[in-house]
Formats: sequence, structure tokens, C-alpha cells
Amino acid sequence: MSAVLKVEGLKKLYGQLEAIKGVSFEVAQGEIFALIGPNGAGKTTTLRVVATLLTPSAGKVRLFEHDLKSNPEKFRENISYLPEEAGAYRNMKGTDYLKFMAHFYADNPQKTEEFLKKAEGIADLGGRLKDKVGTYSKGMVRKLLLARSLMTRPALAILDEPTSGLDVINSLEVREIIRRFAREGSSVLLSSHNMLEIEFLSDRVALIDKGLILDAGTPKALKEKYQADNLETVFRSALR
Amino acid sequence: MKKFMNLLVKEIRELVTKQLVFSLVFTMALFYFIGNITKEEVKKVTGKQKISVFDLDKSAMSQALLGGLQMANFEIDNVAAGSKEAAVEAVRRGTSSVLVVIPPGFGDSLSKFEPKEIETYAFLRTLSLIGIRKSEILRGVISAMNGYLSDNFLKAKIPDIDPKALKTPIKSRDFIIIKNRQAEGSAAAIAGFVSSQSVFIPVILMMIIIYSSQMVISAIAMEKQNKTLETLLTVPISRTSIVTAKMLSSGIVGLISAFFYMVGYRYFFAGFTSDLGSSPAIKGVADKLGLSMNGNGLLVLGASLFLAILCALALATILGVLAEDFRSAQSLIMPVILLVMIPYFLTLFSDIQSLGLPAKILLLAIPFSHSFLAVQNMFLGNTKAVLFGMLYMLVFFGVLVVLAGKIFSSDKVLTMKLRWGKKKVVL
Repeated sequence: MSAVLKVEGLKKLYGQLEAIKGVSFEVAQGEIFALIGPNGAGKTTTLRVVATLLTPSAGKVRLFEHDLKSNPEKFRENISYLPEEAGAYRNMKGTDYLKFMAHFYADNPQKTEEFLKKAEGIADLGGRLKDKVGTYSKGMVRKLLLARSLMTRPALAILDEPTSGLDVINSLEVREIIRRFAREGSSVLLSSHNMLEIEFLSDRVALIDKGLILDAGTPKALKEKYQADNLETVFRSALR
Repeated sequence: MKKFMNLLVKEIRELVTKQLVFSLVFTMALFYFIGNITKEEVKKVTGKQKISVFDLDKSAMSQALLGGLQMANFEIDNVAAGSKEAAVEAVRRGTSSVLVVIPPGFGDSLSKFEPKEIETYAFLRTLSLIGIRKSEILRGVISAMNGYLSDNFLKAKIPDIDPKALKTPIKSRDFIIIKNRQAEGSAAAIAGFVSSQSVFIPVILMMIIIYSSQMVISAIAMEKQNKTLETLLTVPISRTSIVTAKMLSSGIVGLISAFFYMVGYRYFFAGFTSDLGSSPAIKGVADKLGLSMNGNGLLVLGASLFLAILCALALATILGVLAEDFRSAQSLIMPVILLVMIPYFLTLFSDIQSLGLPAKILLLAIPFSHSFLAVQNMFLGNTKAVLFGMLYMLVFFGVLVVLAGKIFSSDKVLTMKLRWGKKKVVL
């Protein structure tokens, strides 16, 4: 399968601190690729660079034929980003928020309607979409934001801890939505602390620590390689 | 353009909250109410004044004097009392603010050209400005009495000469020259006229700058606090458009808010100035001296004010990036307020020409100063100074916009923070 995203030798420095020390990976079309690692490993920084929020200090990031440094606008047209700690405009109604975001991607009213319909299906908030976001629970906001991220069918969805702060039921629903989204042909780059979630969701996984990718592969291949029952054990073995 | 409009409408909707509308309506209503009350009070003070008189002399001279006071727009209320103390007590219980006690033998003494003492009592019933002003009626009473009596003395002694010619033997004709224009009139009256016509301009400017800056800083801070900025920065719209939409929306809402405030202020100040309007003669002199703003002048002035607002918005955008949340945004407005207050007070209370070199450089380095100075520079025909100021503000704005654009296009929009009392700027 052709690569949608190619990251080669990516480095990111904050002053003297090297947050990413040369990360390389690829995400294929329709693939869910996950970065797993402890806090401060460089997962979020990597996602933020790919989402055009941070400028890479070195290395290459390409989405199809578009280079991140020279053409970030083209990147933004083809991606959507869901930060770990994201919010929506509290004074807006759910539908208004979705409409506002859809207008950036749709070039005609029919397209906007199509995106809205898709988002309503993903969010599954029913009549509450007519209420102001300020009245939503944390889980409802997360579902609204996920709907916003996926409604435009971006070539690459970048999801940082997509089930962060959600209860078990909501987490299951969100995971199912992400899988369905990938099955429709879009790619997903995600990060999570939750190894079980990653195992359930991801086609391929990269183990990242201290700004370096220690190993990468399918969950099954990694478990076989490290003779482990789950990804948590894989990660511990890879660290050694 | 469609994406920009989408963003602009969202920004305006975020700024125009119920609280903002309520505060604007409330302020207008409050100023209107206070203005009307003040207007009534001022009318009372500037209209016919009531004074109480306890005449113990009852001579032809004292009656003539009271007649003179009536002619000088005083309403005489004769107090009927048995003694001076009773008269004071009667007035104290009443509403009059002034009591004049004419002693016995007053007329006799004056007819012999011997100065005679009268007693005046001012009843301070309130310490408000208007209340205190009532007590100043006394000064007018004494002045009117002295004028009347001295005129009568002079007429009696030198019947062939007009007393006025004796009292003010030197007459003067006052001329004012501005550049190559000259007109006859009082410099103080003209300065007062120009000041009354242009006093609102710096106030408007100051309000719009502070209001709009506050809004743009808060708008960026709220995006950070509500964790919406990261998402916004990844949608397919240029960072310049994001910055411009924030600045433009704040500018529009700031202008509208300032308009409402100004209408309120006009009502408020109308209360003080309603009866102090300038005479057509003064206006005529001002026109002759070119001290009235024509269409072109207003256009240039408008452009100067607009440039000052743009500078403020660009500066506020950069400051907004430093804010971590809404609370820190409140303190970040301080630099803008300082930069507005310094030229506002310096131009209000001092003459730029008389300032020392460091103060002059400081004043001219602040972009907003040029708008504050634009009004008097235009009246005084210093067109070059106005144009230089506009050019300076344009360059200043350009530099700030480029800087704001660079910050928004870089990591700094997310990583730049100002921490009070800790490390200054974290990049």
C-alpha cells in the first residue's frame, strides 16, 4: 500500500532540549499507526510537528508529495488534528461548531451539509447538538471533537490520546468509530498511554522513548519478537 | 475570502456576548440619567438666583441697591424677622443659599462716601460641585452691589463722564495670529472653543484603543484557555488570516463599543456644558483662523485615528500570545494602557515644544502620540507633522504585523509565555 505520510530523521529541539532525536516512520493508506511510550517520550511533539503546529528542527515530513516545511497549507487541507487536551467554543451550539469547522473544508453548501451529516452520525449526540458546548460533559465534548476531526474524511487523522478522559463505554464507542473511519480508506496516526487500546486499534505500532523509536511493527509481530503476551511487556522488554 | 469571513463572523460572535450588550446599554442609560440630572442642576445654578435679604436700613439707598440686584438677575426674598439671628435661622430652615444683612445706617454712610460693612451668610447645604457653586453667588452679589454703588457715586460726583470710561480707561483690541491667518478675538475664548470642539477626540481614541486591545488579547487568551487554539491553527486557513480576523473583529467591536460609550459621555457632558455653548462670534473667529475642521481635515484625522487603532491591535495581538489564560490577559493590557496614557496626559497638560529632549523623544516614539497630537497640529496647520506621524504609525504597524505573523506562523504562538515573577519569557 502507498505511504500517505513519510517521516524521515525528524528532530525537534526546544532550545537546548532535544525532544525528538531522529524519528522515522511511514503511515500507509487506510492504516492506523500508533505511537506508544511513557510521558515525555516525544509522542505529542511528533504529532504536533505532523499537524503543522511545530516546526521540525531537522528531518523530512511528507504527506503524499507535499513537504511540511515548504507547503504547510497543503498539509492542513489533508489532515485533521485532535489534541489530547482540546476544547470547543463554549458559547457555540454543537451544530454551529461543526458548521464553523466544516466551512474551512467545504467549497459548497452541499459539501457542508454532507460533512454535518457525517459528524452528527459520529458524535451521536442527538438533540444535544442544539445545545451550547458549555453545557456538555467531558465525554460529549470529546465525541464532538472526534466528529469534527473525522467528518471531512481527511487523508490523515492525527489523534492524540483519542479516548483521554472518557469512561469505558464512551472509549469503546470512540475506538469503533476510529476503526470504521480507517476501513473507509483514511489513515490514522495516534498516540496513547493505553496499551490495550493500541493493541485493539492499531495496524502497526512504534515504541518511542526519549525521542527515539525503539522498535516498530504490527502488535502481533512485536509480541512474537519479544515473546510477550501484550504490548506492555513488549515495551518493557524493548526498553531493556 | 469565504474562510476568512467564516472566521471573522465567529470572532465577532465570540466577542459580542450578552454581558457586553448589557454593559453597553446599562452604561448608556446611566450616563443619560446622570446627564439629565446634572443638566437640571446646572440650569438651577446658571438661572435666576434667589438671595435672601434682611434689610435693617430700609433707606432709599438700600431699596435702590436691591432694585439694582434684581436687574442683575437676582431674585430678592425679603426676610421678615425680629433680629439678625432670627433672620439667619429663618433662612437656614428655608431653601435659599445666601443671606445678605444690610445694617442700619447703610444708606447714610454711603451717601457720605464712607465705606459700610454688610454681612453675608452662605448656607452650604451640600459639598457637591454644584452645591458649592451656589455659595459663589455671594461673590456675584457683592460685585453687583459694588458696581451699582460705584457707578452711582461717580455719576453724582462727575455727572459729565460715563462711569465705565473712568473705571476702565484702557481699552484693548485683541488679535490672534495662527501662521499667516489673523483675526480679532480673545485667545482664551478661542482656545476654549477649540478645546470644547476637540476634547472628545483623545477620549474616543483612548477608549477605542484600550477596548479593542483588551478584546484582542482576551480573544487569544480565551483560545488558549479553552484549548481551541491548537485546533484552529491546524485548519486550512493562513495564519495571517487568523491574526487579521482577530484584529479586525476586535477593532469592529471596539469601535461599536466606543460609539455607545461616547453617546453616553455626550449625554453626560451635555449636562455640564448645555448652557455654556459658544457664541456665533467666537465660532466666526475660529473659522477665520482655520480652526474649524473641514471635510479633508476630518478625513486625515480619521485616517490618523484608524492607524493608531491598527497599531494598538497589532501590539495587543503580540501581547495576547504571551497570555496563558484569561486572567493573565487582564494584566497584559497594562503596557497598552501605559502607552496610551502617557501621550494622553502629556498632550493634555503640556506643550510638546516645551518638553525636554528625552521626554520629546519618548512621546514621539509612542505611535499613539501622533494621533493625540494630530488634532492640534491640524488646527495649527502643521500638516507635515500630521503626515509624518501617520507614516510613522504605518511603519510601526507594518513591523508589528510582520512580527505577529511570524509569531503565529512559528512554534512561539504555542510556546511563548510570560511568567510574572518567574523566568520572564519562556520560548
